[in-house]
Amino acid sequence: MQATEAVDPLIGRLLTFDALGMRFREVRLRRDPNCPLCGKTPTIKDLSIHAEGAGQACAIGDNGPTRAFGVGAPSAAVGAPAAKPGS
Amino acid sequence: MKTLREMLAEARQAIREEGPEELQARLASGEPLVLIDVRDPDEYRDGYIEPAVNISRGFLEFRIGTAAPDPSVPIILYCQTGLRSALAAKALKDLGFPNVINLAGGYQRWIQSGHPTVKDSPLTTDQIQRYSRHFLLGQVGEKGQRKLLRSKVLLIGAGGLGSPTAYYLAAAGVGTLGIMDGDRVDITNLQRQILHRTSDIGRPKVESATETIRALNPDVTVVPYPHRITVDNIAEIIKDYDLIIDGSDNFETRYLVNDACYLQRKTNVHGSIFQFEGMATVFAPDQGPCYRCLYPVPPPAGLVPS
Repeated sequence: MQATEAVDPLIGRLLTFDALGMRFREVRLRRDPNCPLCGKTPTIKDLSIHAEGAGQACAIGDNGPTRAFGVGAPSAAVGAPAAKPGS
Repeated sequence: MKTLREMLAEARQAIREEGPEELQARLASGEPLVLIDVRDPDEYRDGYIEPAVNISRGFLEFRIGTAAPDPSVPIILYCQTGLRSALAAKALKDLGFPNVINLAGGYQRWIQSGHPTVKDSPLTTDQIQRYSRHFLLGQVGEKGQRKLLRSKVLLIGAGGLGSPTAYYLAAAGVGTLGIMDGDRVDITNLQRQILHRTSDIGRPKVESATETIRALNPDVTVVPYPHRITVDNIAEIIKDYDLIIDGSDNFETRYLVNDACYLQRKTNVHGSIFQFEGMATVFAPDQGPCYRCLYPVPPPAGLVPS
């Protein structure tokens, strides 16, 4: 799935696959105008927040508490927050 | 009888001309267009403007129907200096194509303006056979295959996500694969991380990955990075690649890859998996959301098993 995308981008679409239920789903993703990186008034302009001692880089973000998954996604349909880093 | 000068003047009256900057802007915007190099094949082989197809002047009227099936899409022609293509553009105009543009100054001025060109090395007999099934696919073809062979993809992680991705990209003939992973092969990896074998247990993953890929496809140049990606090395490493594939296994790395890719305008192909559920998307700077749009903050520690 990821290999095919390298040649045919899925920009703004999240494709999910449930191997137990054998179901594909697609969720449309929208840009977040308040995104600290790519939003209208970005606060992240370099990688300094990732530097050691700068605190937990991924924990920054002034968007309040963790939002439900998916910007403009039809609810947390895919259960994405549970998607653990996997390798 | 008309002189050449008169013919050119007449052609230029009838058609539109645009310079290298305008063509560059059109290409960058991604708008639909058909770019045709009307020079002879040997000139095209020496270098051309991506993504031009080569239809030399003599064949233009015969092949234009196939090359430009939708007459409303702009057709841009170029030759070496813009003269042959001006006459060619006039011929297309006379055929009824409404939107034909000649690249003023041609390939020469394009180069002088500092714009990029590409040059294809001829495919070997082995390559022609190896990729013959790609040639049957209209959307790939020989041209697409050459592009794949010129492409550089960086895989961050050679584990459960990076393994199959790297293996398929290598099979397809992506010419350069950077593989970054600081881990060593463990027996528990082998039920899914298909680049590594039992005899590789204990070896750095990038080593076994390199061997497996080279054995599959000698056309692929593998660039191994036997360490973790960090804030100190990421900018320098990703700058040489066309596409970054994030197959990492932790949130810190994902945010780092996301931020670095956005800041350097690199497309980031993102995948993740948990038990039976997998997901994939593409983060292309300013064309769509980024990882932070999707996950403004990481899940609280403990919520997600690792």
